[in-house]
Amino acid sequence: MSRYRIPGKGRVDPSAPVTFTFDGRRYQGLRGDTVASALLANGVHLMGRSFKYHRPRGAVTAGSEEPNALIGTSRGPGRFEPNTRATVQELRAGLVTESQNKWPSLAFDIGAVNDRAYMLFSAGFYYKTFMWPRSFWDKVYEPFIRAAAGLGKSPTEPDPDTYASRNLHTDVLVVGGGAAGISAALVAARSGARVVLVDENPEMGGSLLSDPSIRIDGQGSWAWLADQLSQLRAAGVKLMTRTTAIGYYHQNMLGLVERVTDHLDQPPQGAPRERMWHVRAQQVILAQGALEKPLVFDGNDRPGVMLAGAAQTYLNRYGVKVGDCAAVVTSHDSAYYAAFDLVDAGGRVAAIVDTRPTVRADLVEATRKRGIELLTGHTATATYGRLRVKGVRVNPVSGSRVGAGRKIACDALLISGGWTPSLHLFSHTKGSLRWDAESRTFLPDHKTEACQIAGAGRGLWGYGPALEDGVKAGMAAANALGRNATPTGARVEGDRPGTGTSQKELPTDRSAGKAKAFVDFQNDVTAKDIRLAVREGMRSIEHVKRYTTNGMATDQGKMSNINGLMIAADALGKEPPQVGLTTFRPPYTPTSFGAFAGYHKGATFELTRKTPIDPWAEAHGAVFEPVSLWRRAWYFPKAGEDMHAAVARECRATRASVGMFDASTLGKIEVAGPDAVEFMNRMYTNPWTKLAPGRCRYGLLLGEDGFIRDDGVIGRLSQDLFHVTTTTGGAARVLNMMEDYLQTEWPDLDVWLTSTTEQWATVAVNGPNARKVLAPLVEGLDMSDAAFPHMSVAECRVAGLPARLFRISFTGELGFEINVPARHGLALWKAIHEAGQAYDICPYGTETMHVLRAEKGYIIIGQDTDGTVTPQDAGLDWAIGKAKKDFVGKRSLSRPDIVAPNRKQLVGLLTEDGSKLEEGAQIVLDPNQKLPMTMAGHVTSSYDSTALGRPIAMALIQGGLSRMGETVHIPMPNGTIRAKVTSTNFYDPEGERLKA
Amino acid sequence: MTTQRHNFDTQPFLLEELPPVARFSLRVRSANRGALEGALGLELPDLVGHRSTRGQAEVLCLGPDEWMILTPEADRDALVSVAASAYMQIPHSLVEVSDREITLRLSGPQALTALTAGCPRDIDAIPVGRGARTLFDNATVVLWRDGPQDFRMNVWRSFVPHVRAILDKVMAELKSGL
Repeated sequence: MSRYRIPGKGRVDPSAPVTFTFDGRRYQGLRGDTVASALLANGVHLMGRSFKYHRPRGAVTAGSEEPNALIGTSRGPGRFEPNTRATVQELRAGLVTESQNKWPSLAFDIGAVNDRAYMLFSAGFYYKTFMWPRSFWDKVYEPFIRAAAGLGKSPTEPDPDTYASRNLHTDVLVVGGGAAGISAALVAARSGARVVLVDENPEMGGSLLSDPSIRIDGQGSWAWLADQLSQLRAAGVKLMTRTTAIGYYHQNMLGLVERVTDHLDQPPQGAPRERMWHVRAQQVILAQGALEKPLVFDGNDRPGVMLAGAAQTYLNRYGVKVGDCAAVVTSHDSAYYAAFDLVDAGGRVAAIVDTRPTVRADLVEATRKRGIELLTGHTATATYGRLRVKGVRVNPVSGSRVGAGRKIACDALLISGGWTPSLHLFSHTKGSLRWDAESRTFLPDHKTEACQIAGAGRGLWGYGPALEDGVKAGMAAANALGRNATPTGARVEGDRPGTGTSQKELPTDRSAGKAKAFVDFQNDVTAKDIRLAVREGMRSIEHVKRYTTNGMATDQGKMSNINGLMIAADALGKEPPQVGLTTFRPPYTPTSFGAFAGYHKGATFELTRKTPIDPWAEAHGAVFEPVSLWRRAWYFPKAGEDMHAAVARECRATRASVGMFDASTLGKIEVAGPDAVEFMNRMYTNPWTKLAPGRCRYGLLLGEDGFIRDDGVIGRLSQDLFHVTTTTGGAARVLNMMEDYLQTEWPDLDVWLTSTTEQWATVAVNGPNARKVLAPLVEGLDMSDAAFPHMSVAECRVAGLPARLFRISFTGELGFEINVPARHGLALWKAIHEAGQAYDICPYGTETMHVLRAEKGYIIIGQDTDGTVTPQDAGLDWAIGKAKKDFVGKRSLSRPDIVAPNRKQLVGLLTEDGSKLEEGAQIVLDPNQKLPMTMAGHVTSSYDSTALGRPIAMALIQGGLSRMGETVHIPMPNGTIRAKVTSTNFYDPEGERLKA
Repeated sequence: MTTQRHNFDTQPFLLEELPPVARFSLRVRSANRGALEGALGLELPDLVGHRSTRGQAEVLCLGPDEWMILTPEADRDALVSVAASAYMQIPHSLVEVSDREITLRLSGPQALTALTAGCPRDIDAIPVGRGARTLFDNATVVLWRDGPQDFRMNVWRSFVPHVRAILDKVMAELKSGL
């Protein structure tokens, strides 16, 4: 048995020792311990060094609010985690832990020199120290700040664990499995509601686990607890332990993180480390309890100084006494019970020091009975010891006068500055808070969500009131669900009622300016830092917080916010609510990235859409590129070819004979109904009325602002049926836009839109021999130029498959696009590839497609347009139905800035030196002007063209269409390139090849 | 009949890819719903999520003017043809989407739990014999609840590998028992 373990106490299993290491030393704890309780059982209080001053620190709490005892934990290769709270991490066999922020060792840390130089690190020191000279910022200050930021080391290896997510719907979600939460859950469940009860601890019970002496309904509190839990199970309540409610979002959606395996010696294969639950609850009951505040005085951070409630928890729940001889400094009744429990368990308490002049008579009597010295109306002014507290200096206070100090020897100092209701989740809902002048704390006020708050979380104290309040909350939730609930009553004996006073920093007889009286332990913020911030002009608590970093650590000020506010309010001479409370934000406690990522890791990190033809491309060595969510074949390199060579070959082969291309990703929308043509007329710039069935047209889609949004070839299959194609990335956006107009502007139109993107697989065949390749495969259609001219569409059979065949071209060559039901896409591809062998058919990818279209000046939405390009700018005014009454964006096209002459317009560029321009390069008209030069435009597309034997480019240039033949200049790092403005239609400008 | 089947009795759930059926998206104004029912010989439920069956054809109402129709492939042409003859009197849109989607079937003791890993909707609240359009992870899906632990899920073709990969992870997770 470890030195500080008390046999027979606690809920740990004395027959199950668990071995672990801390900073390389082996220790033994018991099953049920946390790392902190196991270290304390071994007499180890020193667990880390503080962030700024590197002061020695020990566990100050026994829960998730712990600011000090942050350690590195390792559960095997790749499973290192920094900043684990030792007070939360359950012991597991072979756990390796280490302290942080120390060098060379925890006991002797060079960084502690900061503690001596504390004058340099006062509030706002970042802003003051790192201001000047400006040139120091990049090389000196920023690296220094980055190196100093954070406590632990970031893991360097990929996380081998898996994470999961789950959605859960329930009638009632109860957060917090203490007395109030349990009684609320039971009442709600018995009304017939589906109830979920969650608690962040390994077991339900909340503070009851630390108060075994209470008797409820004639049973000891632990027996009562076990009985209640079995009743909850019988009532069908889903009990979730090790599960933290991290955030409370709109419409009663909460995020819960369940720690699934971190406590297990041997997690079963496939088990996720953590699981994120997305809970949607009809009613939420917040029974989160309250968090104890420290008292603020010089040396209140020494290892061995801890919250009285934490000491009580270590004693009763873990069977660990935190020292041989404790002293207590308090301003709340609750600390007395911690002292009593300690003495009753055989420990020693040297004195209870109370800041209040008078104390409840029964507490005085119980203190006297146990032989504990009681000092009321006292303050604490210092602690003794270095790596462990050795004593506390206390002084009597009379009015504003602080009397002479006296040392009380102790090896543990239990402090309590009262309790703060846990308002975090309630604050996430933007519920308003009310300052309660009597208890000097904020309480929940106006609610924005369907929730109830019960127990200590709304300022109640004692088990009787908490149980009663839980019943009320459970009834209220059940009634809100339209259910009848039956109230229950519980009889509490030996309850521990309590009140207290709220404190600023404690008065001292020494220089307050030299006191290291910590408010925020994790960020090393002292009371004098907060007063300095006020002196330097900070008036709002939000400014004080940012200036001092109070409450900005990973514990979000759970212990420090109210103490900081009290001190700031005192310094400003205002009431605390006038100074304000900072906002709590999710997550409630630090949460792993893995829990947020869930299944989105590795192969399922992000959805990758693949076409039916993708397997062929992969088997034939295609290099892929992502295009929106799709992966598309980029080019098909042959052995020894780089991208440049492969693309050049693909381009040549297509223009010389025939190429084939997987166009399945193009968006497709079926527009059907008697008003289909009217709808098309209103959506697209082009006129559709006279387009005959069996014919196609290039369609241009604008936004209301007149700028180009999307384009694509559209075939009219019958009077009332259009096959619309969109860009790959625009498919969903265009359908949404169309539905929006249809449903909100033109609900009178009899037309319906159906996405058919994935119904069809599409193969484009382009080149002078395209018809020769396809003709033998096509049934039921005369493909001759006379019968099936450019821009035709027909339904027929291709390779024996039902098909929609388009004669269209995005290359300038004779071209066809064959759509077949997606399941047959690969068969169609293979059939065409086979048939094309006689013509050396060349499969090509998106890069060749881009080059071939650029040679023809066909635009790519999002590359040659950027959301500010009009049809006129792009040279597409021919696509506007001038006679049309209206279409989306029409009115904007006559706005003065849209018809202004000097807009950026899309033109071609040919460099004089034959070099290839860089896409995105800026263009100037006069290369000799002063810096910074006036930029006239930029290069949008640039390729090596095999067909033209030289590089070509497209660019948006101010007034570009009126600059044909002029020379513009492209300044680059290695000199300025001269280029001639040309038409974008570089190749076969008469379009003879289309007509083949 | 299934194209792929893993039969492990101890599996938390069984995931099968069902063979193709003829699948249509039907749109018609609610005023014409009754008339079109008569013309097509199908019942078009007027409540979202409700289903009907006539012979081997199944219909699921997905919106106030939207239905999904499943028929055996052999009946496809007949349906297309009666719809076409009714079109002039009863304007509507019947678009074949057989190949747009692939149907997965999830069944077995933890089929519902597996779905809750990806579907934000209250799956348990969908009565047996009804359906719903919802999400599974990033994919839009249509769910058909055929039994307490028996679901069909229509997933757009290119989303299927992702959905299956997530379900594989869920399978491993459920097998672990935690």
